[in-house]
Amino acid sequence: MEPDDIARQLAPKLGDGLLSVEPFPGTAGRVRFRPEKALDLFRSVRDDLHFGHLSMVGGIDWVDHREVFYVAWSDEAKQYVFLSTDVPANAAHIETASSIWPSANWHEREAWEMVDITFDHHPDLRHLLMPDGYTFHPLLRSFKLHEPEELEVKSRRV
Amino acid sequence: MTAPSAQVTAPRPAAEAYRLESELPMATQPGVPFIEIETLRAKEFLPAAREALSSLIAEQGQAKVIRPVFNWAGRNSLFPLHWGLACCAIEFAAAFGGRWDAERFGVVPRSSPRQCDLMIVNGTVTWKVAHKLITLYEQMPEPKWVIAMGNCATGGGPFRTAYSVVPGVDKLVPVDVYIAGCPPRPEAMLDGILKLEELIRERKE
Amino acid sequence: MTHGLWNLRVKIDGEMILDVDPEMGYLHRGIEKISEDRHYNEVITLMDRCCYVAGFSWEHLYILSAEEALGIRPPERAEYLRVLCDEFQRIGSHLMWYAAFVQDIGLMSPFLYGMRDRDLVLDLFQSFTGARMTYEYMRVGGVRNDVPSGFTDQCRKVLNWLTDRFVEYDQLCLGSTIFRERCDGLGLLKAQDCVAHGVTGPMLRSAGVRRDLRKDRPYSAYDRVDFDVAVADGADVTARYLVRMEEMRQSIRILNQVVDWLDRHPGPVLADRLPRWLGAPYAPIGNEGYLLKRNYPKGVGFSAVEEPHGEAQAYTVNDGGEHPYRVKFRSPVFANISAARQYLIGYHVADIPPIMGSVDVCVGEVDR
Repeated sequence: MEPDDIARQLAPKLGDGLLSVEPFPGTAGRVRFRPEKALDLFRSVRDDLHFGHLSMVGGIDWVDHREVFYVAWSDEAKQYVFLSTDVPANAAHIETASSIWPSANWHEREAWEMVDITFDHHPDLRHLLMPDGYTFHPLLRSFKLHEPEELEVKSRRV
Repeated sequence: MTAPSAQVTAPRPAAEAYRLESELPMATQPGVPFIEIETLRAKEFLPAAREALSSLIAEQGQAKVIRPVFNWAGRNSLFPLHWGLACCAIEFAAAFGGRWDAERFGVVPRSSPRQCDLMIVNGTVTWKVAHKLITLYEQMPEPKWVIAMGNCATGGGPFRTAYSVVPGVDKLVPVDVYIAGCPPRPEAMLDGILKLEELIRERKE
Repeated sequence: MTHGLWNLRVKIDGEMILDVDPEMGYLHRGIEKISEDRHYNEVITLMDRCCYVAGFSWEHLYILSAEEALGIRPPERAEYLRVLCDEFQRIGSHLMWYAAFVQDIGLMSPFLYGMRDRDLVLDLFQSFTGARMTYEYMRVGGVRNDVPSGFTDQCRKVLNWLTDRFVEYDQLCLGSTIFRERCDGLGLLKAQDCVAHGVTGPMLRSAGVRRDLRKDRPYSAYDRVDFDVAVADGADVTARYLVRMEEMRQSIRILNQVVDWLDRHPGPVLADRLPRWLGAPYAPIGNEGYLLKRNYPKGVGFSAVEEPHGEAQAYTVNDGGEHPYRVKFRSPVFANISAARQYLIGYHVADIPPIMGSVDVCVGEVDR
């Protein structure tokens, strides 16, 4: 499956919700979409393109916006497809994919607690890896780790 | 057959001449208390033994008899808690396999902390598990010991800078022996257990 | 005892399980966050410890994604060496699974046999990497060093020994009435539930779905070796046992081919013309060490490997800095445990050890 095939099948369903389909080595393509049309895109990817298996949902913090990405696999085409969208940092929420692919459930819990992306209508959005009541979101760039204690040889960026 | 030319050994006395075993020529080292053994009849034995033992305990007390026996029993039957946190737990399990048989030291893992006297912390300790680790430690009856196995339990290891990792289990419970390694080989873990046994041998109270 | 720390909260009525809620995170070490402070080759140390029973597979996974992002290809001998590491690691991981699984069921002697044979495989690892479990062997652009002379003969001896041992293992387990009574028909997870919940690996193949990334999306030298995919029907604990045993036999088949190839084709194991900043990022000047900032490339890399537990994926993002901007890993056991409601509800409390044993949990990779 080529990126052009994907664009051709998704464009009628999504209209301007589909931003672009670029080639991504090792996969069928990288689909960039608008977060408002997320549910339509997921339904279309699962039913029309037959990517029935969602493997990974993750978030990346690009300080002024956050990126949510999904990786799905198709048994017929034997390929992955990479879906990604950008949500603004001050309104970081997107519709959950767990009504389309139940495997998204735990991945979205982890993406929320690590990168602070709220998944609307998620059945069970609570902490997965951190203790209950942990208020920070560790994988944000504003969350800094402790520096290791000073050793004898200091290293400095040139 | 001709007789030997010279008598090189003293003539052996007849059996009736032996009265006390303490007259036998025995090599004894200075400083080792030697308890005189007399050959007694059975019904004279018990009162004599009782009197000898109580006089020994009264003189030398706890330190020479009771404490060494308890230490010997304790160090030869250390029961660790049957749990594993991370990678070091795989080497802990390998030490119970056939090649490095840990059970020959009397070390038998038990699942309930109430039956253990040793907790081997083998792996990274996170803040999420800290409360439960302290609870398990408190559920173990006295006397109890803790071995910090591996770099993560000793001081956080490769994950020392992480936000969720306790930098060393000695921030939570008192540790007796630290075993370095990432992960320490099964022989290193057994060496750590033997060091703990030496520590227990020196136990005074 | 080998699985790691996690909490399975079970709602029961007498002995019957009504609901389950797995609670993870007791081994969450922030590997993804720490990797953002590490140079590209330094992340390898964390990948060994991420999943400790399958260290080589996770090293391979990260290295493939870093090589995609940085645009570096390894030499062919390095690719075959990586396949050798992967397949021996698969045997080692499945032997560890076997030892722990049968001990949880109650069979005590196969634990000793499994550990004994696993120690043979770890001896091989130690001969060319120096370590039994945390190898730090693969590098961006190849592997750290070549195998010593005589290594391939040792491999063949171990492979021949293992082939006979699997016959014994099957007699011990499949021939044991207790094992069959306990495990047949237990922990059913049919194919459409597997796919819906993201379950991959031996659990998926035990439900009859012939999916194996080594065949469907070959990486490294897997397109140049000959093997079959192990599939079973039944979708229960016994089927997963059969799949893993068959996978070990297929691994032996792959390894015999790889070992013959390595004998016939000497060559470099690290790509030549690697960028300076990859090999020696820290240049000492006087008493202070400096990190040299060169032109680090921008790029993204996505990789997927068939790890012993299932499909693992990695996504690396480089934005021109000396450390990766973001590394995200997908662990197969993460998805396998998330489907716990499907294969645990309706069984008894005493069925939890065989079922969770057949899932082959390794908490280090779930929590990362």
